[in-house]
Amino acid sequence: MSLIQVDDLAKSYGKVVAVDGLSLRVEEGSIMGLIGPNGAGKTTTIKMILGLLRPDRGSVRVFGEEPWDNSDIKRKIGIIHERAYFPSHHRVLDYLQRVCRIFGKPESRAREVLALTKLEDAYDRTIKTLSAGMSQRFAMAHACVSEPALIIADEPTSNLDPEARSDLLDLILKLRHDEHVTFLLSSDIVPELDRVCDSVAIINQGKVWASGGLTELSERLGALPTRISTDNPEGLGELMRELEYVSRVEADSEGVSVGVLAGDDERLYEDVPRLAKEAKAKILAIETGRASLEELFRVAVKYGQGGGRRWEKADLS
Amino acid sequence: MGKGRPFLEVFTCALSEDYWFPILELLVLLCALWTFFTAGIAGVSGSYSDFITVEAFTHNLVYSYTWPLIILVGIPILKNIAYGLGSDVEKGIIHTLFSYPLTRGHILTARLLSALVIPLLLFLGISILGFFLFFPDVIVANPGTVALTYAAQLSPVLLTAGLLLLLALRLRRGVPALLTGLTLCFVLFVIFNSIANSIAQGTGSDWSLKIYAVITPNLALQEYCLGTLGLSSGIWVPSFSEVLLYILAGYLLVAVVFIIAYVYFKRWLSI
Repeated sequence: MSLIQVDDLAKSYGKVVAVDGLSLRVEEGSIMGLIGPNGAGKTTTIKMILGLLRPDRGSVRVFGEEPWDNSDIKRKIGIIHERAYFPSHHRVLDYLQRVCRIFGKPESRAREVLALTKLEDAYDRTIKTLSAGMSQRFAMAHACVSEPALIIADEPTSNLDPEARSDLLDLILKLRHDEHVTFLLSSDIVPELDRVCDSVAIINQGKVWASGGLTELSERLGALPTRISTDNPEGLGELMRELEYVSRVEADSEGVSVGVLAGDDERLYEDVPRLAKEAKAKILAIETGRASLEELFRVAVKYGQGGGRRWEKADLS
Repeated sequence: MGKGRPFLEVFTCALSEDYWFPILELLVLLCALWTFFTAGIAGVSGSYSDFITVEAFTHNLVYSYTWPLIILVGIPILKNIAYGLGSDVEKGIIHTLFSYPLTRGHILTARLLSALVIPLLLFLGISILGFFLFFPDVIVANPGTVALTYAAQLSPVLLTAGLLLLLALRLRRGVPALLTGLTLCFVLFVIFNSIANSIAQGTGSDWSLKIYAVITPNLALQEYCLGTLGLSSGIWVPSFSEVLLYILAGYLLVAVVFIIAYVYFKRWLSI
């Protein structure tokens, strides 16, 4: 079941086209990443999904309903904005208790979410005295109060130090695992989404350039990283550099890492025994992984910049 | 779960943001001090014999007593609506409010209850209490004139509040909305007032006063009560029914401005 359905969404600011015919689905129980460079249209898309911006064209459905001025679906959604601001004169715990009352939750939930986001020690501070990173964690706590089925977060890890960022990603995974929360996350820090997302929509210039599960995208677009463990890495590596379909060859003391375009991995598996024989190398293991999200992102953006032409394998070299 | 509790929480949240200690307390104190001050002055300087009619005396007393109070409560109204709401949109606090299970209309109402209704209730509460304490005979003798003076006095305050609201929503920034709001107040109540009076005095015609009385119906009431002693020196002496009409027109204008603001907020405000 799709919790979010976006079809042919478009939004312009004057002559600037922010979103142009964007469609996507966020399935229940999934963590979907919305990735793209700055100005790609991520925040505009999220604002339209949240009913904060009117689209010029297209439709948005959240829990099957139009989100604009819809108070009912707000009970099911936790929201983290890129710039999270809260009434600043309140104390952290007081405000979260107020939010508990707004959502009809027991006030004890406030302490739970503070513990969840590691803000227990800041409970007595006024919101305006929180650091940028703490404010971001407070925004996460705020989003969790209502025990939402869906959390939509725009750049949730901005302002966080690496440790806090890692904690937040762990929390996202925990919420999905323990409470079956569905997430739509946007970020331009691609590796962190790689860690938590099961699917992504890569957007650029207001369009979705590629979307789907990470493995599916990897197979469709990516240069599959293949690791060959051998007793003669140098010799085997030397011969592999001559293969025209291999994009990258790196030999080290224990083996050779190569990048192979999707679809060519079977050719590699056929060629490796022949080359090993030629290099007098013994193959100990061979394993193909999936492309990193960063690599997929780079490829998708490059594909987009090519003016919509069909993705050619040569683009990777 | 209904919307009553979330509404109440958003309202009290706005209240504590608008009037962090000691703004409200200071306001109450100043209003109370002014009440005692006015009572003292009225005791020595005002007397019925200075005026032609009881209505004129009553109106003059209510007007003289309430206009400084209106300016006092007008300051937080200006600050709360123009700067407060403008800043909410500018800083993104409105995003947070929109994440709660309330409609946009509820959120704006909660915000306006705090920004506008609380200062007005304060004004009405203290001033009426002051009248009952210090001038009970005036209120008992002429409740109609007292009520009309209050109504005529409040109409421009509400109109200004509505215009400030539109400004804040349109500009979406606190400081520019506040500065523009101050300019607007100056233009509406100083420049326009001077122009209307100058035209009336210069030409001997009452049309400029009639137009200005739609914005400030108190002008019509004042001219009606004071007659030739009024500011226009008798150039315009409206009838009682005209006064009622101007007060009604003033409130219609207020209603139109607020309806536009609500519709804009509910249907078009993209943030």
